[in-house]
Amino acid sequence: MKKEKLSTKSEVTWCPGCPNHMILESVKRTITELVNSGKYKREDFAITADVGCHAKIFDYLNLSGIYGLHGRAVPLAIGLKIGNPNLRVLSFMGDGAAYSEGISHLAHAFKYNPDTTLIVHDNQSFSLTTGQPTPTTQKGYVSKSEPLGTFDEPVNPLMFALSMNASFVARTNARDMNHMVEIFRKAILHKGFSFVEVIQDCVVFNLEANHKDPRMYKIRDNFSFERAKKLAAEYDYSSKTGKIPIGVIYKERKPTLEEKWPQLRELMKLKRDWRRKPRSFKLK
Amino acid sequence: MVINILVGGRAGQGINLISGMLSRVLASWGYYTFNYRDYQSLIRGGHNFNVLSVSKEPIYSNESTIDVMVALDDRTVKTHKKQLKRNGKIISFSQFKDAGRNLNFALAGALLKTLGMPVELLEDEIKKRFGNDSLMIESARKGFDSEKVSFGLEPQKSRKIFSLSGSAAVAIGAKNSGLDVYIAYPMTPSTNALHEMAKNQLEDGMLVFQAENEISVANMALGASFAGARVMIGTSGGGFDLMSETLSLQGITEIPLTVYLASRPGPGTGVPTYTAQADLDIALRAGHGEFPRVVIAPGTAEEVIEKVSEALFLAEKFRVLSILLSDKHIAESEYAVPVRKFKTMRFSVSRDVPGRKIVRASSYECSNNAESTEDASLVKRNVDRRLKKYELLKKFVSRKFEMFKVYGNTRSRNLIIGWGSPTGAILDVLKRGVDVCFLQVIYLKPLSDKIKRFMEKAERIVLVENNATGQLGRLLREKTGIKPHRKILKYDGRPFNVDELEKEVRKAIK
Repeated sequence: MKKEKLSTKSEVTWCPGCPNHMILESVKRTITELVNSGKYKREDFAITADVGCHAKIFDYLNLSGIYGLHGRAVPLAIGLKIGNPNLRVLSFMGDGAAYSEGISHLAHAFKYNPDTTLIVHDNQSFSLTTGQPTPTTQKGYVSKSEPLGTFDEPVNPLMFALSMNASFVARTNARDMNHMVEIFRKAILHKGFSFVEVIQDCVVFNLEANHKDPRMYKIRDNFSFERAKKLAAEYDYSSKTGKIPIGVIYKERKPTLEEKWPQLRELMKLKRDWRRKPRSFKLK
Repeated sequence: MVINILVGGRAGQGINLISGMLSRVLASWGYYTFNYRDYQSLIRGGHNFNVLSVSKEPIYSNESTIDVMVALDDRTVKTHKKQLKRNGKIISFSQFKDAGRNLNFALAGALLKTLGMPVELLEDEIKKRFGNDSLMIESARKGFDSEKVSFGLEPQKSRKIFSLSGSAAVAIGAKNSGLDVYIAYPMTPSTNALHEMAKNQLEDGMLVFQAENEISVANMALGASFAGARVMIGTSGGGFDLMSETLSLQGITEIPLTVYLASRPGPGTGVPTYTAQADLDIALRAGHGEFPRVVIAPGTAEEVIEKVSEALFLAEKFRVLSILLSDKHIAESEYAVPVRKFKTMRFSVSRDVPGRKIVRASSYECSNNAESTEDASLVKRNVDRRLKKYELLKKFVSRKFEMFKVYGNTRSRNLIIGWGSPTGAILDVLKRGVDVCFLQVIYLKPLSDKIKRFMEKAERIVLVENNATGQLGRLLREKTGIKPHRKILKYDGRPFNVDELEKEVRKAIK
């Protein structure tokens, strides 16, 4: 498959220089690679997005899927898997959507552990609504909605994910396409809910949070929970100094939603969706 | 003749066990029963009671007075003494001090004797449910022997009758239609439908998922439906409010979705284990933007079986939102239903689904390629298409399904209009020789155009609803321009009793 097959006719309306362009290109490269390796067909993929700058990626990717509502990309993705466990599902959310409006869904997704991938475009800003603070915005950020400055310490999404017993936690850099492709591939191939934080600049809002590239360093895939906690704690999303680890922060094989539910297990085994379901299912 | 039996006690004492055994025994003798459950929002203690009304004819409601009271505690006697008829009878726990944990069987035995039925019927019922437990049977016999016959019930022509709650009916109708996935978050009074769906899900070829909240329930449902499954979700008012956002997403994505909405008194938490019809407005209008939907409100558990099937069928055929509107009174009361074959619509998903083709759905207005658009003409085109779909749907429903039912004297100058659970009490009022015609609205959306003719013909229109403001009345006025002359509204969390309603109706048509 040529990578161009993943393109649509939609006019790309991200700002010039927005790292979303690079995230889109990396997703296309990853999927092209996976399709060409013979592992999947293009039709096997389904994507969900919610609402925000990041979510426009839905219009630019010629794949099946649902362009949903703000904060709800994850339950849509889980629904797709319940509706057909054979689909390869990717979700795209922003930091606002994932950690504000959609945080309860995200918390439970780690518990259900569906075999899907979530890519969070984290630019520490609600940008499509013109620059209000999100849960990961640094303390003190002055914006139109909080002119007194954000009073709160930001949440650390990686610590959150680890505390919810995530089976795959990774972080990558929107300015490093090779690294993104590597991480996206590993996330998609991981059996279980793979959570990927993409550190991204916004070229218009919250500029003071930008240019973290020099602080980032690549780690090897980590399988130790204790080390994962240390890695996640290295960067608090507020401080101006210190290192930011990127790579696979934690990975563990756990039973997936589709493996736990006998009905979905059987549909996967039969390579069917519900339209050709067996008359009844067996527990084992 | 109707016999009203009240069984009361603390939660956890086995009130449902007694009324359940009795209704099955009565059914085996060819009697119809209607069992109302009045319970508090607690698990152990408090005061709960059931009212089991018995008749030779189909019966759908209780009277407000009691013929026999079965008291598992003192509070029951104190609370309900004033409801007891002059020659009414009390069977009290205090008569069976030594029955211990088999008190329920002693009381059931005593009740059976009071009704004039043989004890063997109860013994068979005990054996069927609990095995050959000699202590239970002994207690039942002791209870039986301790009483005198007060009502000489005779066995009726053998007819097969089964006991059906509205919650079980939702599950039966959905399974008969081939439902694949049911998703819900527990909320009274929709929870029992979740339990009914879940219990044999593997054998039924279904998956029943309890999600983290109703927002997720609705979104997961759209995901699963989009992927090709036949999906339904269930909730009550508060959970439905949370789903509203996603109902609107259904409107634009046109992914089939059926919602079972079992209402209870609000606002807020209200009176969570009691009944009300106060959520018609939200069923008709919840969700931002303008998009088509179906709202169906069956009036009895029996009707639920067929109407849930129509709701699912229409959601898939027209890719719309279908809402099956019920309430606590239908969901948790037990109706005696003659065994018959129910008409259910089986259907399959024939639209394109992901996995084989590229299929896209979006919360934005889209161009032909399912890509977001802000183009004025495309926006208008899409809105027009969705509204036109509603017209097609309305035509289809008018041709295929029963959108309302008419009972009683169709030539009467008096017309009762109602919907949902009060249907039961109204049907029982009709049996009492009141000169009225009763029009039961089943499809609230689309509403049948024929209803207007009945309203125009009537000299006195009486609206009966279990809410405070007459929500169907408003809808009828909007659609027909005709205002009901009288309103009989009840909004204390309790359903209509037949005798009280009869009085009100007679007053309204005088």
